[in-house]
Amino acid sequence: MKLPATSVFILLFLLPPVRPQAQLEAARSVRAHGQVNTEMIRIPAGKFQPFLLAADQKHERHVAAFLLGQHAVTNAEFLQFVKANPQWRRSSVPRLFADNNYLSQWAGDENIGNAAIRRSPVTNISWFAANAYCKWLGKRLPSLDEWEYAAAARPENADPGADLSRIILGWYDHPTPAILPAVESTYRNTLGLWDMHGLVWEWVDDFNSVMLQGGNFYCAAGSAGTANKADYAAYMRYAFRESLQATYTVGSLGFRCAQDIK
Amino acid sequence: MKKILTIGAITIGMIASSCHGKQLVTNHISCCPPTGTTAPITIATTLQAQSSIYQLTGKWTDEHNQSLELRDLKGKVRVIAMIFTHCTYACPRLVQDMKAIADSLPAAEKNKVGFVLVSFDAQRDDPAQLARFASQQGLDDHWTLLHGDPRQIRELSMVLNVKYQDAGDNTYTHSNAILILDKQGSVIRSLEGLEAQTSVADNEINRLVNR
Repeated sequence: MKLPATSVFILLFLLPPVRPQAQLEAARSVRAHGQVNTEMIRIPAGKFQPFLLAADQKHERHVAAFLLGQHAVTNAEFLQFVKANPQWRRSSVPRLFADNNYLSQWAGDENIGNAAIRRSPVTNISWFAANAYCKWLGKRLPSLDEWEYAAAARPENADPGADLSRIILGWYDHPTPAILPAVESTYRNTLGLWDMHGLVWEWVDDFNSVMLQGGNFYCAAGSAGTANKADYAAYMRYAFRESLQATYTVGSLGFRCAQDIK
Repeated sequence: MKKILTIGAITIGMIASSCHGKQLVTNHISCCPPTGTTAPITIATTLQAQSSIYQLTGKWTDEHNQSLELRDLKGKVRVIAMIFTHCTYACPRLVQDMKAIADSLPAAEKNKVGFVLVSFDAQRDDPAQLARFASQQGLDDHWTLLHGDPRQIRELSMVLNVKYQDAGDNTYTHSNAILILDKQGSVIRSLEGLEAQTSVADNEINRLVNR
């Protein structure tokens, strides 16, 4: 699709006025961690409308500026982490931290096997494993709010009238392929982030803050309500998060790391 | 309509697949049947060591301003809940339920069981506030109240399978669970909801104390 010159101009304008800091960060991390690609994108502060709201919450949530990985962590990158941290090998990880499906797509403890998935997002990793990977790089998982805010940015080449939730639902209609495509294979959004939708689901730090069900399990039961009941795409992300536990590993669930701006 | 049905099917599929790799202890989400009653009998000792929450590292501070790690809690059966002391609704009942369990223990078991409250509220529940709360509630030295940093609190909530959300203004929406840990720190049972389940807890504690 060909874009009119004006929209290119607008997109350039929307791109974050970043890079020096992010590049510095990347350079430092590469030195410390070998081949791990750690380029981070600066996400400017802003507001967004969360899908789920407690009764007493404001309808707009403010997110401070932060850094977010430009793509999901790949199998090859995760292998560097496992080599440096043998306690996270498939055969060593305690059941407290991952179920027995952990890294089941790999051929061995330190062997991805299938070369076709080296640059695909690493999946079948638990929240604990994702959390440990980010910690290893001096980073953290993004919060749910940060992730949703960053993922709400539109594809950089989308038709002006296209509805993001329709694009996402189009993805949900297709089953997960047997071999996940590489990162940077779907779309880049106006913040410069790749594949926020359309490749894999992603862990967030506080996924266990989602409580869609009322009932007597929860303090202040009944106070959580949905902000936009027509947003099926968002509903599915939240329902998926609610169904997870931190030890679960899923073939279509990966992650990327975030970082505070110092 | 077709779209709605498709979405429903996908959602169910995802929930089912995420239940597939279930952990050993009970969980409170209705899509997965609870297994807590059978797990303690069937899991092997090595798996129990693997499932000990005392594998989490990091320093906590108790209500006496003493620094400790979770593994320092090893050796006693532990009854644990996550609360915040400014909570007006559910947490007082959780604490009442735990006190009822403490009061109902036979004399021979009292020194073999410890009660632990961990606060969600890293900001306001500092050791001094935890000490005030312990004194208001009449919690004796069988109780340990823990203050930690937000990242540790999130990690602990993950191993205990407690959901919580910072709802703003230092209040927290959270699942209500009292968990019983064996002497090695594996979660053996999770008592959910705001109903006193003292006799269930007593039976479990009795079994674990004598194991």
